[in-house]
Amino acid sequence: METISAEIFTLTYGSMVRQLIADYEDVEEVNKQLDKMGFSIGQRLIDEFLAKSKTQRCSDFREAAEKVAKVGFRMFLNTTAAVTNWNAEGTECSLILEDNPLTDFVELPEALSQLKYSNLLCGVIRGALEMVNMDVECTFVRDVLQGDDVYEMRLKLLSSSPETYPFKDDD
Amino acid sequence: MAMLSGWHRRMCEEDFKLMFGLFWSMRALATALDPKNPTKQQMGAPMRIGDGCSFNSFRTSSYKLHFLESPSGLKFVLTTDPSVGSMSEQLQYIYASLFVELVVKNPLYTPGEPFLFEPFSAALNKYMRTLGLLS
Amino acid sequence: MFQSRGSAGIVDKPFRQGRQEISLSSFAYLFSEMVQYCQSRVSNISELERKLDEVGYGVGLRLLEVLCYRERGQRRETRLLDMLKFIHSTLWRYLFGRQARDLEQSNSAEDEYMISDTDLPVTKFVSVPREMGHLNPAAFVAGIVRGALDGAGFPARVTAHYVPVAGQPRPKTVILMKFNAAVMQREQRMPGG
Repeated sequence: METISAEIFTLTYGSMVRQLIADYEDVEEVNKQLDKMGFSIGQRLIDEFLAKSKTQRCSDFREAAEKVAKVGFRMFLNTTAAVTNWNAEGTECSLILEDNPLTDFVELPEALSQLKYSNLLCGVIRGALEMVNMDVECTFVRDVLQGDDVYEMRLKLLSSSPETYPFKDDD
Repeated sequence: MAMLSGWHRRMCEEDFKLMFGLFWSMRALATALDPKNPTKQQMGAPMRIGDGCSFNSFRTSSYKLHFLESPSGLKFVLTTDPSVGSMSEQLQYIYASLFVELVVKNPLYTPGEPFLFEPFSAALNKYMRTLGLLS
Repeated sequence: MFQSRGSAGIVDKPFRQGRQEISLSSFAYLFSEMVQYCQSRVSNISELERKLDEVGYGVGLRLLEVLCYRERGQRRETRLLDMLKFIHSTLWRYLFGRQARDLEQSNSAEDEYMISDTDLPVTKFVSVPREMGHLNPAAFVAGIVRGALDGAGFPARVTAHYVPVAGQPRPKTVILMKFNAAVMQREQRMPGG
C-alpha cells in the first residue's frame, strides 16, 4: 500500500478547514460542510475498503462497526478505534479513538470552541455504511480539542432495509 | 454496471433493465438454493445489498458470463469464450486495482452515475490483453 | 493567545519521532473532495487554481517549520540557491519521497527558477476532462512552494505548468518561481553573491 507522510495529510486537512472557516463564518455551517464532504468521501472509499479487505458480506451492524474501527481506521488512518458501549438492541455503539491524525498539533481558539474539527470522519463513516445499505447517524460526543481525554463517536443504526427492485414489473 | 465496450449489440434502456433483472434473480436464486446457507430463505425473500453475492457465472454453448457483485452493489460483468475458466480472481483484481485506483479516485466520479474515464478504459483493455482475452 | 483547555497542552505533547505514514488513498480522497469543494465556490478555472494555491500556501508555511525543526536542526537558509536546493531536495523528498528531477534557472530572466518533475502523486489520479480545460491541480503544489518560500523570507510568485516532453506520453510538471525584486537585491548585496 502506498503511503504518504501523515503530516502532509494533517496539514492539508487543517488548511482546508481554515478555508471553510473563511468561507462560512458560522461554525455550525462549517461542521455541516465537513460532514457533507466526509459523506461524499465515504461513498467512494467504501469500494476501496471492500475490494482491498476482500470483504464479501457486510450486513451485520456489529460486524460492520468492528470492521470500521479495526480494519477501516487502520487502512486509511493508520490507527485503530475501540468499539464499546453497545446498547441492548445492538443498534448503537461508541467508537473511541485515542490517536487522531487529523488533529495533530491542532488547538482550537476560544472563538471556534464549537467547531467539530474532525467532523469529516463522521461523514465518511456515514457515507461508507450507506453504500452497504446501513443508514446510520454518527456524531462526536467527546472531542479532545474541546477538552475531553479521547475522541468518542456515537454510531447509531437508523435502518437497514432490503434492496428494492428499481424497475416496475412490466408484463 | 461496468463498461459496455465490446458488446455486440448496442445496449438500450430495455436491455439494461433485462440485464439488471437477470442478475437480481440469479443472485436471489443462488442464495436461496444454497445448501450451506445458515438462514433458510424463501425464493422471493427480499435481499440486502450488503449480503454479498454468491452467483459467479453461467455458461451457454457460445459464451460464458462472469459476474462479481460487491457488498456496495457494484456489478462487474464479463463475457468470454465458453472454454475460459473461473475469472473471479481477475474480476476481483479489476475491482481492487483498476476500478478503485482509476475510477473511484477520480474526482469526477460520482457513485451511481455512468462514467467514461480514458485511463480506466486503457488499463482495462491492457489487462484483458495480458490475460489473452482480447486480441 | 491560545488557551490550553485539554489535560495536556499542545506544547507538552511529545513531538512524534520519525515519520508517521498514512495511506496515499486517504490523501487522494481528501484532495479530490477539496478540489470539488473549491470548484463549487468559484466560477472559472483560474479562480479554482487560486483557491487550490491558497490551501497549498497554508500547508507550505507550516511544513517549512516542521522540516526546519526536524531535518535541519532549526537552521534556516539565508541564500537563495540554498533555499532552492532545500525545496528541490528536502521539501520534495518529504512530499513525494524523492528529490525533484530538475532545478534550473530560466534563460530569459535572472529572477526566475524552475523545478520540474513527472508523475507527481497529486496529479496522478486526476484525469482532467475537456470541460476543465487547463486546470492544473499542481496549483496546490505551487501553493506549498509559495508558502515555504514566503515563510523563509524569499517571497515569490509561484505557478505550476504542464510542459509536454518529446517522446514521453505525459507532460512534466514545472513549478515556476519568480522572486520579488527585494529578494534579488538582497542576494546581490550578500557576500559571494
